[in-house]
Amino acid sequence: MTHDDGLPNDPEGIRLMIHALVDGELDAAAALAVERRIAADPRLAAEHARIVALQGAVSRLPRPDVSDAFRARIAAIGMAGTERQASVEAEPQRGTPPTLPGLIAGAGGGQRRGAGTRPSQARPSQRTRRFGSFDWRAMAASIMISAVLASGATQWMIQSGVDDGFAAAVASGHRRSLLAASPIDIVSSDRHTVKPWLDARIGVSPPAPDLVQDGYALIGGRVEVISGRPVPALVYRHREHLITLVAEPQQGGKTTQPDDLSSGGFSMVHWSDGAFSYWAISDMERPELDDFVARFRKAAV
Amino acid sequence: MSERALAERFNEVVLPHLGDALALARWLTGNAADAEDVVQDACIKAHAGISGYAGGNARAWLLTIVRNTSYTWMARNRPRAMMAVGDLGDLDDMAAAHGTSMPDEDGPEASLIAKADSAALEAAIAALQQPFRETLVLRDINGLSYREISAMLAVPIGTVMSRLARARGLLASELGRAS
Repeated sequence: MTHDDGLPNDPEGIRLMIHALVDGELDAAAALAVERRIAADPRLAAEHARIVALQGAVSRLPRPDVSDAFRARIAAIGMAGTERQASVEAEPQRGTPPTLPGLIAGAGGGQRRGAGTRPSQARPSQRTRRFGSFDWRAMAASIMISAVLASGATQWMIQSGVDDGFAAAVASGHRRSLLAASPIDIVSSDRHTVKPWLDARIGVSPPAPDLVQDGYALIGGRVEVISGRPVPALVYRHREHLITLVAEPQQGGKTTQPDDLSSGGFSMVHWSDGAFSYWAISDMERPELDDFVARFRKAAV
Repeated sequence: MSERALAERFNEVVLPHLGDALALARWLTGNAADAEDVVQDACIKAHAGISGYAGGNARAWLLTIVRNTSYTWMARNRPRAMMAVGDLGDLDDMAAAHGTSMPDEDGPEASLIAKADSAALEAAIAALQQPFRETLVLRDINGLSYREISAMLAVPIGTVMSRLARARGLLASELGRAS
């Protein structure tokens, strides 16, 4: 039996899509297509029920308790730095990351104090947060809603070549922005406006240095939806050219040097700094874009 | 950023996720007592690196540190438990070649899985090979997205998906056999 709903037709592929459905990783259009396949095939329906049942059983497993004593020990680690500062006197800390030996010494002191005299301070009235099924469902749902709202074209084949797909999506987002009424959602040359705006919407904001003295003015930002996930994008202007800089958050990612991905009349450069993976795209010439990338990297450190 | 601001950030970023951190460390090290040691080590590292936290999902950021710390800790304290799993690439090829789950006719009824007792399920998870176990735990216990897991493990999303499907398939057939 073949289908033209865009889903994989091999049994292996469709199984992975059922897992992705259960995990809330599909956008509405793809989810609908998978649900139709499940409705039409009892074997797929049984597989779907198994996955749901298993996920439910795993989520009901008892979780380790966070004991008060343990929480106090960890809170003491956090307080070590402020204690150290009290003795050293306030000074600009920029560029001087705390060193480990000092920390460990400080943690010992903090631990005694945290466990002894001031338990209420050591343990802020933070509810023990349970990541039951509600949390990820809410997250998945919010991603899906923003995906549906923000992009008419659904882009959901998350399996196919992640990086190429990501670069292509960045490129089409940039092209679409040039056609749209406004290429930006938040108009501001002030990074202190752009960053909180992005933070409030998607909880992430990349470094947004204003490079106006270098000839690249920050004119605003927008949210791109790529592979079903909202990612922050900054927009800079250089003379009459716009530069879109998409910054995908990385967790413990590698640092990579700028890499040329230009094609189709656009210049594109990709690099990572460990915290974010960046894609800069523009219709400027490649050397000019390289100049922007170099200045941004210098300013963003 | 001042020390005080860094300390506040540590409280906001790390403390709410201790339960998740312990759950991950418990499954990676195999027991709850070791998990506390590992999470404490990880929190010291998180504190040292808090100025490098660039926003985003704090839970995923902390869990990345916990995972790395778990493996370092295991290599130092439980070298025997760190079984050579061979080349991970081989494992993924195997997962792909054998299909991600058992043939349909062998799959147990969903109701059997739903009423499996938690001891049997825990034993089945503990018996999974490490790449499958960590992927399952990050998804179904810690609730990370495919993309977050892919970034954490530095593997393509397709690999995350096939490892997850393989892990679930193994658990399902194990529970079907046990009951």
